[in-house]
Amino acid sequence: MVKYFLCILILVFFFIPSVEARVYLDINAPTFVQIPIILPKWKSVDKTPTALTAKIYEVLVNDLALSGFFKVIDHSLLPIYLKEKEGIPGMLSIQEWASSGGEILLAGEATLEGDGLNLRLKFHLVDLVEQKHLVGKQYDGHLQNFRNMVHRIADEVIFHLTGEMGVHNTKMAYVIRQGESREIFIADFDGANVKPLTQNQSINVSPVWTPDNQKIAFTSYLKRNPDLYRIDLSGKNLQRFSSHPGLNVSPSWSPDGKQIALMMGKEGKSDIYLLDANGGNPRRLTGGHGNESTPRWSPDGQQIVFSSDRSGSPQIYIMSLDGTNVRRLTYEGNYNTSPSWSPKRDRIAFCGRAGGQFHIFTIGADGSGLKKLTPNGSNNESPCWSPDGRYIAFSSTRLGGGSRIYIMNANGFNQRPLTTSKGGESSPAWSKRFE
Amino acid sequence: MKRKSYVVSIIFILCIGLILMGCPKKTVVKDEPSAKAEAAKIEAERIAKEKEKEAKEKEVKEREAARLKEKEEQAKREFERSLVAKRTPGIEGEVFESGLLKPIFFDFDKYDIRPADTEILKGNSALLKKFPNVKIQIEGHCDERGTNEYNLALGERRANSTKKYLTSLGIAADRVSTISYGEEKPFDPAHNEEAWAKNRRAHFLITAK
Repeated sequence: MVKYFLCILILVFFFIPSVEARVYLDINAPTFVQIPIILPKWKSVDKTPTALTAKIYEVLVNDLALSGFFKVIDHSLLPIYLKEKEGIPGMLSIQEWASSGGEILLAGEATLEGDGLNLRLKFHLVDLVEQKHLVGKQYDGHLQNFRNMVHRIADEVIFHLTGEMGVHNTKMAYVIRQGESREIFIADFDGANVKPLTQNQSINVSPVWTPDNQKIAFTSYLKRNPDLYRIDLSGKNLQRFSSHPGLNVSPSWSPDGKQIALMMGKEGKSDIYLLDANGGNPRRLTGGHGNESTPRWSPDGQQIVFSSDRSGSPQIYIMSLDGTNVRRLTYEGNYNTSPSWSPKRDRIAFCGRAGGQFHIFTIGADGSGLKKLTPNGSNNESPCWSPDGRYIAFSSTRLGGGSRIYIMNANGFNQRPLTTSKGGESSPAWSKRFE
Repeated sequence: MKRKSYVVSIIFILCIGLILMGCPKKTVVKDEPSAKAEAAKIEAERIAKEKEKEAKEKEVKEREAARLKEKEEQAKREFERSLVAKRTPGIEGEVFESGLLKPIFFDFDKYDIRPADTEILKGNSALLKKFPNVKIQIEGHCDERGTNEYNLALGERRANSTKKYLTSLGIAADRVSTISYGEEKPFDPAHNEEAWAKNRRAHFLITAK
């Protein structure tokens, strides 16, 4: 993955972005208004196939829509005199675009060069209200990586409008039910490039990304025990690295990558253990009678959030790394599980039961500001954060016939399915950025 | 004349009386050996009867033992007939299932044994006592609701509370292993209450027979 990006060369900065970058969108605000962004048709330079350019355009429109930050006005929605205008407009014609209702304009062109395998993508981002160019860049790369190049453009656009890079060059790992077996799959952020990582017909569950972003750790029943494995993103080099009789499930790496928190069933119930990064030297952190699950590190590496039924029903707790200073976070409802700590803010997402259904909630790490994010009418489970903390992936049964992976903004806005699969998807895990 | 015959009669009667009085004495002396034989004979008969009785009892016992053995054999055959070898793709090893080891079921998000299910566990325990070489694995299962990881923990609890009940009935702990499959191996893959009730279960597998 990384090597593909090395060949994307940023050749030219057409315009230097203004020194004081204006933040167009405060995406951390509880509510924000989507920015109307106009995307004129992209131009196919020279003999570049128009079908390829159309595909590039489609991926870009989808990326911006997925981000949740924009009201995307694609060329089909434009007035007749702008509909067919292609490519990057000169500054002189900015005025006519400004009258079309958009605040931002993103224009571009594609050129297929050399032996027809080298793709050059060029884009301009223009503030139509203030009538100034914000940024323009050109990317060169191999044709087969065109999606990644487009994602890179979407990330840049988001960077210039929000002050932080987007997460379009990330991936999702998740479980798909295939008959009696459960297999691990990975897909791009936009649901493209779905590919199987395991095809061993076993029960493979609970995937997470290793800190180097190059492997998936998961639990498999290959040896008739829920053991912990890791595997390369190529589907090769399967290694078993924790295999105590009983559960070895749901690992979470410390931010420095040196330790793993893990659910283990060594005492006839599930407890939270700390292990060395190689899976050795397990130390039990939780005792008593509680059944503990899903440990997740805080971004500062000082605390672990987990679920425990020690009070009689599963609730969310936080503890220090030595198992002390345990405090209960949730008091609403009698079923709160599967916590996940935002990598950027002191906010924890979890799955809670309300009105007989399961929903995604977030709550402050101090127990304040409980918020239900998913709409009534279906079950929603297993939340996990994007690496920038702006999105939450989860599984939902809202389309019926088993669950699918969904993505939403951290405030619950813009909930969309990742893929158009038949269902049977669960347990999403979000990678870091591939750069 | 009448008087004479009267006297004769008396004498006759006396004579008869004398004879009769003397007779017993003569008989005792004369019959002593034959009486002993008689007693021996009776004793022999008694012993014979006793022996016969003993033999009969032995025979009954043997028949009973044979019957029990046959019953045991039959139970063993029945148990063996009930065993279905099971290989699961992607999961190592061959195990057996038996319809005679009955599953138990749980309420949503609960792992305590339901009172009605204790009889099922007593039945399973009786079977295990009959076949002391049999080792089992208890699988803890959940319905699909709730998060997968939490359900793996819940399944662990269900398997272990079932094991605890069996050991309380005298089954050695080392004959019973546990495994949680959480919600990953539903008995019924449908998405409704009926399926969910069937899926919240402890299932018994035979790992050694």
